[in-house]
Amino acid sequence: MSSATPRFDPTEFSGEITLDHVIPATAADFVPLPADLRPELVAALAGRGVERLYSHQAEAYAAVRRGRHLVVVTPTASGKTLCYNLPVLQRLLENPDKRALYVYPTKALAQDQLAELGALKSGLPIEVRVDTYDGDTPPGRRTAIREGGHVVMTNPDMLHTGLLPHHTRWRRLFSSLEFVVIDELHTYRGLFGSQVANVIRRLKRICNFYGSNPTFICASATIRNPLELAKRLLEEDNIALVDRSGAPRGERRLVFYNPPLLNRDLGVRRSSMLEARRIAAPWIRSGVQTIVFCRSRLQVEVMLSYLRQDLDPRLDSSRRVRGYRAGYLPLHRREIEAGLRNGDITGVVSTNALELGIDIGSLQCAVLVGYPGTIASTWQQLGRAGRRSGSVGVFVASSSPLDQFIVRHPEYFLGTDPEEGLIDPDNLLLLAAHLQAGLFELPFLDDERLGGADVQELLRLFEEDGSATRSAGRWFWSRQAFPAEEVHLRRILADNVVIIDTSQPRPQVIGEMDQFTAPVLLHEEAVYLHEGAQYHVDRLDWDEKKAYVRPVDVDYYTDALASVTVQVLDTFDGPHGDPLTRSHGEVKITSLASIFKKIRFHTHENIGAGPIHLPEQTLHTTGYWITVDEGLWRTLGRETLEAGLQGMAHSLRHVASLRLMCDPRDLGSVAEVRSITTQLPTVTVYEVYAGGVGFAARLYELHRELLDDAAALVRDCPCAAGCPSCVGPLHLVEGAKDACLRLLSASALPV
Amino acid sequence: MTAYGIAAVRQEVLALPPLDPYPGTVAYLDTETTGLTGGAGTYVFAAAIATPLECGLRVAQFFLPEPGMESPFLQALHDEVVAADGVATFNGGSFDLPVLRTRWVMARMPGEFTHAAHVDLLTLVRALYRHRLETCTLRYVEQRVLGYERDDPLPSALVPDAYFDYLRGGSQDILEAALEHNRLDVISLVHLHSRLLRRLQGADVDMDADDWLALGRHRWRRGARADGWRALRNATAFATGEAAATAGLLLTRRLIRKGSITSADRLLDWLESSSRDDIRVSVARARLLEWRRRDPERALSVVEDAQRRMPEAAPELEQRRARLVRKVSSRSGDGLRRNRDRRQRDVGQIQLEAPILEGTA
Repeated sequence: MSSATPRFDPTEFSGEITLDHVIPATAADFVPLPADLRPELVAALAGRGVERLYSHQAEAYAAVRRGRHLVVVTPTASGKTLCYNLPVLQRLLENPDKRALYVYPTKALAQDQLAELGALKSGLPIEVRVDTYDGDTPPGRRTAIREGGHVVMTNPDMLHTGLLPHHTRWRRLFSSLEFVVIDELHTYRGLFGSQVANVIRRLKRICNFYGSNPTFICASATIRNPLELAKRLLEEDNIALVDRSGAPRGERRLVFYNPPLLNRDLGVRRSSMLEARRIAAPWIRSGVQTIVFCRSRLQVEVMLSYLRQDLDPRLDSSRRVRGYRAGYLPLHRREIEAGLRNGDITGVVSTNALELGIDIGSLQCAVLVGYPGTIASTWQQLGRAGRRSGSVGVFVASSSPLDQFIVRHPEYFLGTDPEEGLIDPDNLLLLAAHLQAGLFELPFLDDERLGGADVQELLRLFEEDGSATRSAGRWFWSRQAFPAEEVHLRRILADNVVIIDTSQPRPQVIGEMDQFTAPVLLHEEAVYLHEGAQYHVDRLDWDEKKAYVRPVDVDYYTDALASVTVQVLDTFDGPHGDPLTRSHGEVKITSLASIFKKIRFHTHENIGAGPIHLPEQTLHTTGYWITVDEGLWRTLGRETLEAGLQGMAHSLRHVASLRLMCDPRDLGSVAEVRSITTQLPTVTVYEVYAGGVGFAARLYELHRELLDDAAALVRDCPCAAGCPSCVGPLHLVEGAKDACLRLLSASALPV
Repeated sequence: MTAYGIAAVRQEVLALPPLDPYPGTVAYLDTETTGLTGGAGTYVFAAAIATPLECGLRVAQFFLPEPGMESPFLQALHDEVVAADGVATFNGGSFDLPVLRTRWVMARMPGEFTHAAHVDLLTLVRALYRHRLETCTLRYVEQRVLGYERDDPLPSALVPDAYFDYLRGGSQDILEAALEHNRLDVISLVHLHSRLLRRLQGADVDMDADDWLALGRHRWRRGARADGWRALRNATAFATGEAAATAGLLLTRRLIRKGSITSADRLLDWLESSSRDDIRVSVARARLLEWRRRDPERALSVVEDAQRRMPEAAPELEQRRARLVRKVSSRSGDGLRRNRDRRQRDVGQIQLEAPILEGTA
């Protein structure tokens, strides 16, 4: 392992360094072990080399011991798991009949934490049974886990379909449940978070049935509103927040690098992959342990081959540089971790599998190829470099709008965290689905709520359609079906279009897409981009909801023209403001894709077209819309106005996804020169999940910030007249950028 | 009347010819549920229990008039179950009893849903009749094992909806049909158990080699070795057919494990003379002669004989034959003589077993 400080000289790169910032070292804030800690536990900790705690660990312990729920927000590698393992083990030592349930967003993470807790508990004189329980658990072991597991580690999906509907088999666990640990709290946002919030509502009902009242302990990466998110997710008030880390950090250098522009008109920059390679390869060559984060598995493979080529051929390059991504077996991962510790491995190329707290130790350098999507993830990935002093983290931006916004606005990144996790557990579709599951699990009393939601009206509706029956002052489930199986936590509808790659001997599902968007992106002959690779859609079986694709390498992309109309069904608030008004409410979006064009890269010439024969799609959801005052748009010509509105729609959607920590694909946006509802030029940003999960209302509140961010995105883009990185693919309409900027900054004028 | 209120129960006594063998006070239990998936939202809405009396059969039926009245329903049902010395069900081990245990918890009843020793007739049917049945549904078992076709008032699949319809104020007639279905099920269980007991005792008429083989395997698995041995011997005694040979080979394996090599040899010799075209027998015999008796010459003649009898299997045996040829040519006369001596000693020890074999068929 080299102790040399890794060198990074900006003058060697022709792109732009937008941030070169040194974060000073912070010393550890140690405190003694809590006085009431059982001697057995003290001894077990000593066996692991722990003789005192970081301050946040002690604070967490104290809060839990006082019976409060807890959210711990600390950076990567700050000893977060001890914050919950300590009070849990202490309680188990005091009373071995108690139980704890640990919920992790993925199976792999539960496996890793199993090993972590296993090492600590092995030093204890009592038998603490810790097990993972998920789809991979062999049937033969399940009974033993149900009866004897002190700590059961699972994921929300298993809790939803496995544990809760069969809770009588888990009576032992639920009746003695003292702690529920929810790690990676920040992943429970948007649709997934709204679903999990309802699973937690159901969990609490079951606990109540068995007479237990567990303490919830959440751990989160840094976001703006951890406490608020936890309050919404758990529907509890007495939650303590511990967000000051006592773990030491070495001095860190943080660099944002924007590769040089190749084509100013199109906003095309030199490949972030190649630039990242140029940064990482010399470090790896000189023995500086470096991790490179890529956005997709494909990119990981490509980057691996680059970096191996760059190593001295005498070195065993395939052993020195390793790939590391989700889907690797635990044994393989342990081997890589060991190789990093003893210095055999100097380079690791990873997808975001590592981001979720998996312990690979600390490296000296981290290179991020492209923006990971959220500031929280970015910090988690950069945090991989750095307990030692003299570490360097470099973010290399791609040409995408999000990357360009972040790289040009480091203050957005470094300032008070603007990202927030939003959920809406009361989305009617979600609530109804989980109410059915909850009704299956336990009859509802006449005045009972599901968490904070009043569900009596829904129950009466269920009675009408035959799903519920009233008897003796309670509601009972009255269908044969098993409702939890009909709800998939990570998507809202069962009838998504599945994307199947047929180029492999065994066709592989590479993704799925909601029914509303699919006609535009997955019509036959479309070139569909998936994780940076091009796929040609050979066949779309609409009845079966399957798209058959194969990888291609072509010099064009396809652009489907869909006529999209927005009809406002109910306005919750607005219109307010002048000359741009804001409103939000319930909307119906209708989309009919009719033709598509093939457009050559770079030249943007139209090289072909074809019809799309697919049914019109409608979506009932929530949206936020902006109208443009007459005085403002009269001065622009119709064509310029349209281009400006489209630029607004494109940029707003992207900056909105930044604030809401969602994928840009979770939002849709439409520009209409004359809306049928407002009769004015209107831009609508809507949620692609039917009913919405609370984004639209928040967008309405963030109106001013969104306009400012969008204006900054467009204004600071070095393109001349608007490019795909700022105003979107507008095929170079004259004056689009100016019009867009004028519209976005209109409300900044004194009114 | 239970401690929780009035339960909906009806009882009747049916005349029935005396059961032979008489099973004792067994509660034949069957439940009707609102779904087949299990889980906390699957209710038991009806159950029937048939209990044999000396003069006939008592049938008690329990009904859950609405979901909110589960406690008296479960209490009455449980009272009837615990009064018996045993419980018999069809697939109750994995369905009816776990569902009842779940309901017990859901209704906040004290303790557990307890019951006396349980026999799952489906398990027995699978063990004893699998070779005769394509599926083991109760309806099919009735047809094929008990020999009667039931005029079912309502197919099983429609039973849950019959109850839901009733709850929504629908037809009482369809519900009655579901209850009748339940009643007929438990009466079937009584007859089925009787038949299974006869079969277990080996007292069933017209059992063939497959039947004895299945019985022998089952009894052996249950640890009843003497019974298992007897049944396998009976299967073997049919002399011809795959099942007889399989049973014979199982016996051989057990003899070898006990060290009764000569008996095993004699049995294989006998099997080979009766199952002329079963290569498994010839291979087993050749292996025994080669490895246990150290007699490659006889093993070789067994293999060559088999190759002549079963030309289509000849290639499969070729490797074995080649090895035996090598062994024979390198063998000294001394070794052979020693083997022969040992064989003669063995013969004296276990002569006894042969007559049992021949005496059975």
